[in-house]
Amino acid sequence: MQGTLIGGLIVGLLFGFLLQRSRMCFNSAIRDVRYFKDNWLWKQGLMAIAVETIGFQLMAALGAIKLNPSAFIPAAQIVGGFAFGMGMVLAGGCASGVTYRIGEGNAVAIIAATFYALFAGAARNGKLKSITALFGKPITVTMENPGVYAAKDGQVAPTVANLLGIDPWIVAIVFALIIFAYLFFTKTSQRKAPMHWTVGGILIGLVGMLGYWSQQTYSLGITGGWINLFTATLTDAPYNWIGMEVFGIIIGAFISALIFKEFKIRFPKDPKAYAYAVIGGALMGWGAGVAGGCNIGHFLSGVPHLAISSLLATAFFILGNWFMYWLLYGRD
Amino acid sequence: MAEVKPDYTLDMRGEVCPVPDVETRRKLKTMKSGEILEVLIDYPLSKERIPANAPKEGGEVLSIEETGPSEWRIVIKKK
Repeated sequence: MQGTLIGGLIVGLLFGFLLQRSRMCFNSAIRDVRYFKDNWLWKQGLMAIAVETIGFQLMAALGAIKLNPSAFIPAAQIVGGFAFGMGMVLAGGCASGVTYRIGEGNAVAIIAATFYALFAGAARNGKLKSITALFGKPITVTMENPGVYAAKDGQVAPTVANLLGIDPWIVAIVFALIIFAYLFFTKTSQRKAPMHWTVGGILIGLVGMLGYWSQQTYSLGITGGWINLFTATLTDAPYNWIGMEVFGIIIGAFISALIFKEFKIRFPKDPKAYAYAVIGGALMGWGAGVAGGCNIGHFLSGVPHLAISSLLATAFFILGNWFMYWLLYGRD
Repeated sequence: MAEVKPDYTLDMRGEVCPVPDVETRRKLKTMKSGEILEVLIDYPLSKERIPANAPKEGGEVLSIEETGPSEWRIVIKKK
């Protein structure tokens, strides 16, 4: 199952099913915690991150994976991250949110995802690549003994641990404890959801670990998968693990929505929603292409590495989201 | 339960996240005490989030009923 198309498909099916059941959308999570004073989804996301923080470390210690933090390009993560954050509000969902909602029959999600794929691909490999290059080259840390990290010529992307020269285990445990303290010692909003946030969070974390083991080079992602689905369909490039994972998410969410009678072809009556989906999808795709990942690649999968790139990108996803929400809905 | 006649109806079917939640909140803010709002939605997340957040705007959820395939009607009374 390692690195194979079927492995990607199975992980994607599980992830899509779980996303639909747990309603895990990071656009909602980030917005709700600030503007609705509702931390249900936010806590679910952080629970998954805490599980992965310990889980990835454990898997690396056991030799099942090598930790591969994302490349650190500060300007790219700041500008791309902010663009992504703004885009997800306009598109009505984050990268994983629009992907799983295609499976629920959401017409706007299909539009947003298409423009997401086009602009992410253009920023990474296509006509917008020269602009992406303007943000600079990755900053790395030289490690004589990379240990649990995947190194390229002795170079590793910076993490809190390797930057400060602390054992990654210590950083992981402290970070996970801080998250747990927040999760269990602060007040949680209540809602009647099909899956409790603790259960949803733990299961998403476990799928993240399975994804890392299966893909080997990284945990879950969305951006690379959408680019691959388009590129492999339009050129003679082959489909890959992450392309199949994204395809699996759509099918997994579709199966879940069918079983629990939540599938319906949905069209907004407000024409503005379609324009927002195009602009939002494009902005989000470009942002993720530049920043080197989306809310899954950087937030869900990258933050557990305590990668500086992912922490910075995530901070700007959040700021971009809050800014655009305030602009569109928050000023009343 | 006895059928209550809503003073206002928000048809949010088809709308994307978080429009149903935002519009419900906006409407609740402008309503007078005792008035009834009916919200029609087809977005699963909002079915759970609107009832969870209505009390913050003084809304009391009277009922949530399934009205069709992945369609729900939420009735909220302003306290």
